[in-house]
Amino acid sequence: MEQFIQLLIGGIAQGMIYALVAFGYNITFSTSRSFNFSHGNFLMLGGVVGLILYINNQIPFLAMVLAVVLVGLLMGLILYKTSIEPSLKSKSNYAWILATLAFGIILKNMVEVFWSTDDFRFDSPLGNAPIRVMDVGVLPQEILIIVVALCIVVAVESFKKYTIFGKAIVAVSEDKNTASLMGINQQFVILFSFLLSSVIACLAGILVAPITMVGATMGTVLGVKAYAVSIIGGLESGYGVLLGGLIIGLSEAFTARYISTGYKDAPGFLILILVLLFLPSGIFGKTVIKKV
Amino acid sequence: MKTKKIIYGILLLIPLCLPQVIDNQYYIQGVFCRIIIYAMLVASLDLIVGYIGDVSIGHAGFFAIGAYTVGILTATQDLNSDSTMSWFPHLSFFSALPIGILLTAIAGFVLGFPALRLSGPYLAVVTIAYGMLIYTFINEQEAFTNGTKGISLEPLQVFGIKCSGSNFLYVVYPFLVLVMFVVRNLTKSYWGRAFEAIKYSEVAASMCGISKSYYKIWAFVISAGIAGLAGGFFSQLDAYVAPNTFSYNFSVEFLIALIVGGVQSILGNILGASVMVIFPDLFSNFNDYRLIIFGLSLLMVLFFMPKGLAGFVNLVKKRFATKQDSHHAEALSKKAAEVVLFDYTNAKENHTAVQITDLTMRFGGLVAVNELNMSIKKGTVHGLIGPNGSGKSTTVNLLTGIYAPAGGAVSLFGQSIAGQSTYKRAKLGIARTFQNLQLFSDMTALQNVMVGMHNSFQANLAAVCFNLPNAQREEKRAEARAFAWLQFVGLQESAFTEAKNLSYGQARLLEIARALASNPALLLLDEPAAGLTAGEIEKINVLIRKIKDSGVSVLLIEHHMDMVMAVSDEVTVLDFGKKIAEGTPAQIQNNPAVITAYLGTHETSFH
Repeated sequence: MEQFIQLLIGGIAQGMIYALVAFGYNITFSTSRSFNFSHGNFLMLGGVVGLILYINNQIPFLAMVLAVVLVGLLMGLILYKTSIEPSLKSKSNYAWILATLAFGIILKNMVEVFWSTDDFRFDSPLGNAPIRVMDVGVLPQEILIIVVALCIVVAVESFKKYTIFGKAIVAVSEDKNTASLMGINQQFVILFSFLLSSVIACLAGILVAPITMVGATMGTVLGVKAYAVSIIGGLESGYGVLLGGLIIGLSEAFTARYISTGYKDAPGFLILILVLLFLPSGIFGKTVIKKV
Repeated sequence: MKTKKIIYGILLLIPLCLPQVIDNQYYIQGVFCRIIIYAMLVASLDLIVGYIGDVSIGHAGFFAIGAYTVGILTATQDLNSDSTMSWFPHLSFFSALPIGILLTAIAGFVLGFPALRLSGPYLAVVTIAYGMLIYTFINEQEAFTNGTKGISLEPLQVFGIKCSGSNFLYVVYPFLVLVMFVVRNLTKSYWGRAFEAIKYSEVAASMCGISKSYYKIWAFVISAGIAGLAGGFFSQLDAYVAPNTFSYNFSVEFLIALIVGGVQSILGNILGASVMVIFPDLFSNFNDYRLIIFGLSLLMVLFFMPKGLAGFVNLVKKRFATKQDSHHAEALSKKAAEVVLFDYTNAKENHTAVQITDLTMRFGGLVAVNELNMSIKKGTVHGLIGPNGSGKSTTVNLLTGIYAPAGGAVSLFGQSIAGQSTYKRAKLGIARTFQNLQLFSDMTALQNVMVGMHNSFQANLAAVCFNLPNAQREEKRAEARAFAWLQFVGLQESAFTEAKNLSYGQARLLEIARALASNPALLLLDEPAAGLTAGEIEKINVLIRKIKDSGVSVLLIEHHMDMVMAVSDEVTVLDFGKKIAEGTPAQIQNNPAVITAYLGTHETSFH
């Protein structure tokens, strides 16, 4: 039983990391019908910058977080200018996929060349001692992950719902042209969504760092799984990522424990395929009748 | 023409001489054979990405199935003595290869189903999941695959002749030629046009009689089969297979190779594969920076050469093409002179063309069409008018099976068509044009019309793939007939212009030509004159009369009252989904209900 609860919490924490990264896909997909296929590499960059500043250079934790946010903003801007803006202009179906993939390849290779190809430990500022409640040990970092992920998702969704700029984002997601006619600067909204999504990915990098390792390859698989999470929940839904994250995170944790670690990714991907067979736009996605 | 074929033939033989010229096994097997195998895989990916228009990031999975099937079936115990493998069927390479292709094709068939309902990032993630599942399976099924350690294979021998090393080229190269020959024939045939039609507009494709399920699933099966073939050869490239090769990154690299080379081009496929193989060698001095350079070049290609490397070559080719086109047009117009356009295989005797009974359609709480009763007499033009949102287009969508009605019945020449899907209705003789143009934008006007003739093609898949004489004859006949349809609407000058480059008026005419090309008994014109000038409208009027005189029944939806009144035999008026009047144009013009509900009570401009 204790083990079951421990697995449950570990699975939820992992799921919330996926949800947070997936949330970044949703934010930009709704405004621009595109997202960063190398989102996982942005997460990696966040982790690496965090490691360099906090562990190697002993900079205060909050200052490091601030620096990571700035890095996220900067990378989001560069990504937008070099990959997204030209792709959206090119009218090609897949330009954005390849452009962001190319951007990720460059980013990852630069980290490998100018920093390191090794993996490093990142000790949690909250310590590595599990908190024990009735024989169930929970890492403080896991709790932090769950809390921060939920806060970010709720904050962004409320921002979209209750502020005027947030409503502008929703308007652009619903109908770009009408939003433009209402005086909303569509380009700026898209740029903003990419900045926000990049910052969240970089923050997710420092969040996940203590439970994985920090290295140039840490983001690739995470990015792909978060993509699956995002689709399961529905690319155009906000809170859908939380459910998607739970599904993938928990299925992974339990398969790894009760079946085999080698197969831990399989159930998640099977669920993904099954969900899409019956709900082509994900669990919370909207299906629109196409007008002819 | 003959000399051209001979030149191509000689060019095709040149690569076979390479082992004589370059005495270096690394270059022949490691580089050249690798390019050949990768080119086959890129070509298979092109069928999905370039023609069907879906992004697949899981082709490494298909490749893996082919490679592992051949690997497992041909492996020997001697070379894998310390492995966990327990099953050694000891098949020969060429008996294992077809099994690999078959298994991969089945895998492609399975992937085809999600592809029917999904597109864009939704389908892309399924392909990733699919690739990952195959990867996991290979890694974990150690009893068959020896897990991460991989399978070592004996060097290839065929009938006791050593086929490894430089000799491997003689084995794989003919298959590359075969694959490219088949892909080229397929994509230039009505099959390829059906693939592309689905990419540009699913609705318009189905209105041309194309079953999306049938063609999409076949495309995935064929693509997977080719990937399996390439995979089978890949197992012999290094005489060793290991799961790590077939990762997510491998799928991504192939997608990149395809785009860099250029989609919808055999030359592009080969160039893309070459770049993928040669690039690491070329930049071996900057090995650390290799991927940075690679990523930057990819961005450059994407934004400055959207058609890839092959796009450059095609630009040069196009210089000469205009001259060829005019020759071609001349030849076609000679043949088109003998074509009889309206033939009456579709004419049904003495029946009402369309009988609509109590037809109802709801969108949520909105009743778009409310218990509509209407009949279109055979060989007449029936006008359907009403203010915006009165249910005209919904009626057309119900007639064509794009929407399923909430109630009521529709029969076509006395035969109920309830529940029939759109492409089947097209086969029964319904054709339509679209209010919002639905042309296949990157195809020429001629090709657009040929898609409209889809149902007239009889040649089977094998005949198409190998370009057998019956397929060739059929294609030539269809071309001439399509040209005649363009002449009919007055677009013969633009036969080789891509649909996206036509003017608005021309595009409207092309829609009509494409619809007529399916040889319909009933033609639905959904606002054919929207946005046209008075002169252009007059042309359409003349066309509609000609169509009617040929015996085709027409349902005309229009806002131009002059036009409706001038060409219709009978007019039905809708308002809020209900029929409020029906009669001859003269009766409608004087109907008080119509005047208040639709035209307003003040003076209007009826002539």
